[in-house]
Amino acid sequence: MKIAKITAATATTAALALGLAACGSSEPTKTAEPAASGSAAASEAGPKYAGKTLTVWRLGDSNPAAAKYMEELNAEFKKQTGADVKLEWIPWPQVNDKFAAAATGTGPDVTEIGNDQVPLWQSQDALAPITDIAHAGDQAAIPKNLFGLETIDNEVYGLPWGAGARAVLYRADWFKELKIEVPKTWDELVAAAKKIQAKKGADVDGFAFNGGSDANHLLGAFAWAEGGEYAVKEGDKWVGKVSDPTFAKGFETYTSLVTEGLSGKSRLTQNTVDIRKRFANNKVGMYLTAGWDLPGIEVDSKGKLKGDKLAFFPLPAKAGGEAPSFFGGNDIALWGSTQQADLGKEYLKLATSKTWADRYAKEGGLLPIYPDTLAALAEDPVQGPFARAFAKAKAFPADPNWTEANETKAVLQNAARAVIEGKKDTATALADANKEIEEILNQ
Amino acid sequence: MANTTTVARGGGSSAPGRRRKRPGGPPRASGLPNWAIPYVLLVPGLLVIAGLLLYPMVQLVIISFQKFGIAQIRGKAAEWVGWANFEKVLATEIFWTSLRNTVVFASIAVTLTLVVGTAVGVLLHKLGKKMSLFVVIGCMFAWAIPPVAQAAIWRSLFDADSGIINWALNLLPDWLSQAVFGRADWTGEPWLNDAFTVYVVLVFCVVWAGFPFIAVSVLAGLKGIPNELYEAARVDGSGAWRTFRKITLPLLKPVFAVLTVLSIIWDFKVYTQLHILLNGPTNREAFNLSMYAVAEAFKPPPKMGTGAAISIVLTIILLIITVFYVRQIVKQEEM
Repeated sequence: MKIAKITAATATTAALALGLAACGSSEPTKTAEPAASGSAAASEAGPKYAGKTLTVWRLGDSNPAAAKYMEELNAEFKKQTGADVKLEWIPWPQVNDKFAAAATGTGPDVTEIGNDQVPLWQSQDALAPITDIAHAGDQAAIPKNLFGLETIDNEVYGLPWGAGARAVLYRADWFKELKIEVPKTWDELVAAAKKIQAKKGADVDGFAFNGGSDANHLLGAFAWAEGGEYAVKEGDKWVGKVSDPTFAKGFETYTSLVTEGLSGKSRLTQNTVDIRKRFANNKVGMYLTAGWDLPGIEVDSKGKLKGDKLAFFPLPAKAGGEAPSFFGGNDIALWGSTQQADLGKEYLKLATSKTWADRYAKEGGLLPIYPDTLAALAEDPVQGPFARAFAKAKAFPADPNWTEANETKAVLQNAARAVIEGKKDTATALADANKEIEEILNQ
Repeated sequence: MANTTTVARGGGSSAPGRRRKRPGGPPRASGLPNWAIPYVLLVPGLLVIAGLLLYPMVQLVIISFQKFGIAQIRGKAAEWVGWANFEKVLATEIFWTSLRNTVVFASIAVTLTLVVGTAVGVLLHKLGKKMSLFVVIGCMFAWAIPPVAQAAIWRSLFDADSGIINWALNLLPDWLSQAVFGRADWTGEPWLNDAFTVYVVLVFCVVWAGFPFIAVSVLAGLKGIPNELYEAARVDGSGAWRTFRKITLPLLKPVFAVLTVLSIIWDFKVYTQLHILLNGPTNREAFNLSMYAVAEAFKPPPKMGTGAAISIVLTIILLIITVFYVRQIVKQEEM
């Protein structure tokens, strides 16, 4: 019964996703192209690896589009090297726990990894350096500034695979029904959110507040828009900047989402995954996310929310213009304990070659890392908002301890809760947070 | 008690020695001395306990004095830091709020579980066979639900927008709600934001799932009390409350001793339910010690040294309470 249901659901999703892919701006490459742009070295190595098996971790849900991509990539890899690939999918919320377990015992050979996770896991000796392949072949065309988080002490620990910028995902069908224009300014966004709540029920979040593990993607956008920063490295010490007036302004916009009633005060710890589920159940009008949420929304809404019912616009800054986005991205890296470093590097080279990296981005809702492909997207109706946001993307402090401040101690999430519940004023909360962030980053 | 029997067995029978009637062999070479046999028989059990309990505990103590992360698990030598982990833990605000939450929650939850459990146990004893069976089965359902599901149930009951609790509170006549709670409107009341209300929900959740065990244990104890005592009490004109205090309670003291110690231990280390109610370890003000230890030890970057230090503090607190409590019981028994 249950299995039958799941199968049915999967089949439907598969069908829907194919439909969605067809809706995209351009047709995805139908067949795997011959190794023309794949590295030549890989084909030379061909017979050498026959009979070997490489374990690869992909992060996220194995939605049909991603599953198809991996299948074709792995088939191409087998053709070039003769080696088989054992693929495992790790859901995003479990990534750090899985990495921690893998770092102590047997891990994969190759893994996808979030670019902001690279410093942390490099500091735990979990990743192997791949400097020799980082700027050779196709990869030479990847802009050097995309290696910012990946380069530690002059060694490269991950290859950019796709870039992620965030924009506001909204219910285009509701906007049409309620005759709301796509907001160009912050005030328009607030008005749109209030209108949605008035018509769709008070328990609907007009613009959802994110106070969970990935809250800083939202808070960061507001703070950066005001010219704020989290922390700046002065000499070899981090100096916290969250108590600066610029950051505080963005922080106030962030907490005002709840205090002004745009988002329910009972959901202070929801993260993007929680919001996504509520969005799929008609309880959210707008939230900040990226294209990779779309397949999940389709599944959670049982196929009801897809296609032109959903759309993105760039987050407007309160001060005017578009808010900078978090400079996110997914890398692919060689796991430190691998016994097959050479074969793993071949996989990395193939996956980040122009053909396959472009397909990875296009089919996974990310932005391509190759500049010419990215430039072509700026005018694209679907990817345009992301490409524009990506142009002014900013990053969190590049420090292995950032994850502790960001997720484990959830410093700013707790500061926001204290302010929202009226236990502290913004200045005190941020001064305390600033001190704690400095302590964590400088430990 | 266990000790005396072992000694009696070992000392009283020389059977194992006598049975071995090997011709010519000197007794020392072939058999063990009598006094050693019980200890030899204990070895397998001790080995299992040592492997599964003692070794991890010793490791925990060692780690709590080290800077211990993932690299150390892989075999890198750990650096000794003395009392630094403990000092660091004791200096953080989160530790003290966690300690407060843990202790206050445990004392309230243990008391309520025992009171409700005993009341239901006595009720079960009074009820007829069929009704008693019916109630027992009902209670068992609550007890049989896994912790994650328990918490999910209570979380949805207390949901701000679609929870039945807010709905029911809104149904109360306004004057009554105003008189009892000082407010009439409960729409969208967020129960799971503030540490205090989170723990109110947690108390409901834990007591609800914990009392059936107490009830059944008390019932088992009650079945063992001879009926004549109650008859005699009735003849002497003792009321229900007096009978309970003078007969039931003293006779069930050993049962209560065990149940209290168990409840204290369980409620001090509640983790699963709290994790679900809080939607993960984000709200630091509502941490208890186990949650703080887990967040510290396993969330990236794993700091198992400080995590172990927190566990040790928790263990020491538990040991002190348990030892103190058991001693009191033993003293009273002697009197």
